[in-house]
Amino acid sequence: MSAGPLRRIPFLAAAHLRHEWVLTLCLVIALAAVISPLLVLLGLKHGTIQTLRERLVEDPVFREIRPTQTREFAPAWFEDLAAWPGVGFLTPTILPLSSVLSVVLPDTSGTTLFDLIPTAPGDPLLLENGGTVPGEGEVALTAEAARLAGVVVGDEIAARVTRSRGGRGEAVEARLRVAAVLDQRAGSLPRVYAPLSFVLDVEAYKEGYAAPARGWAGETPQPYPSYDGAVLLLPAPLQPIVRSGLAINTGFGRVTEITAERVRELLGIVPPDGFACYELLAPGQPVTASSIRAVEQKLRGHSRVLLPYVRDALLRAGDRELRPVGLSLDETQAALLGLEPTPWPGFSGRLPEGGAILNSLWPNADALGQGEAVAVRAPGLAEVDFFLRVAGETILDRPVVPAELLGVLRTASQRAVAFDPDSESFRMARGGFRGFRLYAASIDDVPELYRRLKEQGVEVVAEVEAIERIRVLDQGLSRLFWLIATLGLFGGTGVLVASLYAAVERRRRDLGVLRLLGFARRHVFFFPMAQGLIIATLGLAAGFVGYAVLAGAIDRAFAMDLAPGEAFCILPGGYVPFFCLSTLALASLASLAAAWRATCIDPAEVIREQ
Amino acid sequence: MSGMPPMVRLEGLVKTRSQSESVFELRVPSFEVGPGRMVAVIGESGCGKSTLLDILALVMEPTMVTRFEVVTGPSIPPVDAAALWANGDEAALAALRRDNFGYVLQTGGLLPFLDVRQNILLPGSLNGGRVPSERIEALAVGMGVAGCLDRMPASLSIGQRQRVAILRALAHGPRLVLADEPTAAVDKGRARSIMDDMHRLARDESVAVVVVTHDVDLVMDRADLTYTFDLEHESDSVTRSVCRPVTGGMP
Repeated sequence: MSAGPLRRIPFLAAAHLRHEWVLTLCLVIALAAVISPLLVLLGLKHGTIQTLRERLVEDPVFREIRPTQTREFAPAWFEDLAAWPGVGFLTPTILPLSSVLSVVLPDTSGTTLFDLIPTAPGDPLLLENGGTVPGEGEVALTAEAARLAGVVVGDEIAARVTRSRGGRGEAVEARLRVAAVLDQRAGSLPRVYAPLSFVLDVEAYKEGYAAPARGWAGETPQPYPSYDGAVLLLPAPLQPIVRSGLAINTGFGRVTEITAERVRELLGIVPPDGFACYELLAPGQPVTASSIRAVEQKLRGHSRVLLPYVRDALLRAGDRELRPVGLSLDETQAALLGLEPTPWPGFSGRLPEGGAILNSLWPNADALGQGEAVAVRAPGLAEVDFFLRVAGETILDRPVVPAELLGVLRTASQRAVAFDPDSESFRMARGGFRGFRLYAASIDDVPELYRRLKEQGVEVVAEVEAIERIRVLDQGLSRLFWLIATLGLFGGTGVLVASLYAAVERRRRDLGVLRLLGFARRHVFFFPMAQGLIIATLGLAAGFVGYAVLAGAIDRAFAMDLAPGEAFCILPGGYVPFFCLSTLALASLASLAAAWRATCIDPAEVIREQ
Repeated sequence: MSGMPPMVRLEGLVKTRSQSESVFELRVPSFEVGPGRMVAVIGESGCGKSTLLDILALVMEPTMVTRFEVVTGPSIPPVDAAALWANGDEAALAALRRDNFGYVLQTGGLLPFLDVRQNILLPGSLNGGRVPSERIEALAVGMGVAGCLDRMPASLSIGQRQRVAILRALAHGPRLVLADEPTAAVDKGRARSIMDDMHRLARDESVAVVVVTHDVDLVMDRADLTYTFDLEHESDSVTRSVCRPVTGGMP
């Protein structure tokens, strides 16, 4: 069928509207009078909320969730927390006391103390305050810190880390490049943000340890040996009073007499006949070297051998499971028991240096050569890979290692212990952190994270209330807007329905003539619809002009309360097409009654009416 | 010219219209009009001449019709309008009107919201063709409305409107022009000149023209053929009107 008539409809509809321009103008103004206030309302709602939100959203402070207590957080806890939904940034922190850095001032050559805070890639506090995340050897400074240190981006600062060890002050210095100076908003305190590794090294140094990678001297954090209990072997039984004294102020809680078989089980050796055998236990807590020393003190003058033991010690050499015995016997002790002394000193509780802790005796059946190294792995909190050096043979059916080694491995089952192959020694791996810096991905994630952390018993503070207030306000304003919008919608639609219908009634004869000239029913159907759309388009245009004028006036009126770039009346870009399309769709709907009426016009009835 | 096939042929038409108690029945045993011919339909008011015109104009459905054909081209078989009505093919009837018919209504029937030129161009624009402006100008000069082309209908005199309406009815080259009391609103002298114009254009453009009027004098010596109606009052409520050609003399 010919599309000609349909194509002429918009032209005719427009010509009709132009002809009746006064009525059209009234309609357009009526529509604009509905659309403008709606747009202003929408803009105000959105603008107000956005301004308030942006003040929160823009400032990462409102996304921060800070711990209020210093307690230990295990690395695994951080891994877990980082995977929570809504976590935007997370880094462990150290003890507040250790988080200070002396920065050498350029002119006075004096120093000043800055807070030292760990950072990591993605840190919103840095990135959203005009900074970059510092790399190794770099720092980011707050504006105040930069001012005090008299540096700008690209300069270097000389940072001094001090400690007191053995009553002597020590210090190391690091030259750090200033990668960024943060905006004032990031905080008014002088602070230095540095990579976590640097902060940890500073902390370690302050605690007296070395940071070998930075050339900072110090101790190596050694793991302490711990035991499940001790076995006391004596040629003669103890007097009850002495025996019970062993459980007083020694760390041990119980002393029981045991059989020779039990001794063999625990230590791999069988005591000479007639020996009194006791087991010393400290139920519920590990036995430390100091407990052993305390018992030794109490038994002074007694001929005895006191040996700590670790139950069910296990090592793996490849596929093979080893159940080593921990024995450190000096010559006296060995003689008393009728055994060979171990090629390492008797038990002292201190870890032998220089790899002596790795010495071991192996059953003849293993046929290992002197000095040979056997790679082993100990299960622990984290598995520890190390090796045992063959120092000789043993008559026992199990490998014999220093009691100190087993003590260390027992500690490793509770605290992270690492083996350093260079120094052939064990050291404590970092157990945990003393705090964290946590930022939610968005302010909306803060309440949930806050709640979950509280649930875990982690005391935190966050700007939850400010965020919640805005959310409630947003909800209230949204409801208000939709209420008014619905009223306006009904009003605007009603005006259109009535006007378009009236236009059809008024122009029945003209529409009849159109039908006579060859327009089919389905063509004249679109006449009111085209008019509805034209009026809606003009109404929208007028509405937006009205909105622009009003919004400008409102923003000018509130200019005092707004920061540059902020506005109280903002129409988000996405809303404009949505609003326009909705209005046009509604106009089409509103024209349906008139369109239906137009199709009912019988040209034969109307062409002679006048 | 009388040898050419008729543009419209109507046979055995019955149209019954009832209004409350009264029933009006129009019977047209045979009606036809050929190209270049002007046919007048005369009769007093209420005799059914407008009903006949509406049926010819394809805007009123016949109650019964034996044959209702519209010729749309020299070598094309005639369109069966009776079948289109029976099928309710409103779109095809509209298309037929659009492509082949022109109308002159009592008061012109110009669209008040279009200027004269747009009114004249409208029928042509509907079938996609565009009437050359030279043709419009020439026709307008011929009809004496050349100066009115860019004015709105409301600013024209009634006589000018009728002429513009005739112009609109003819401009797109229809095969049939239907005029409903085209001179009802003008004085005698102007009416005569309008009728003359119509007759002349019918011949010049080889168009079939059907003029409905109550003014017998005006058409008797101009029309090539005249139809009139015989009214019969069957009863108090039933009126029957039968259409017949006038054969010499007054009805």
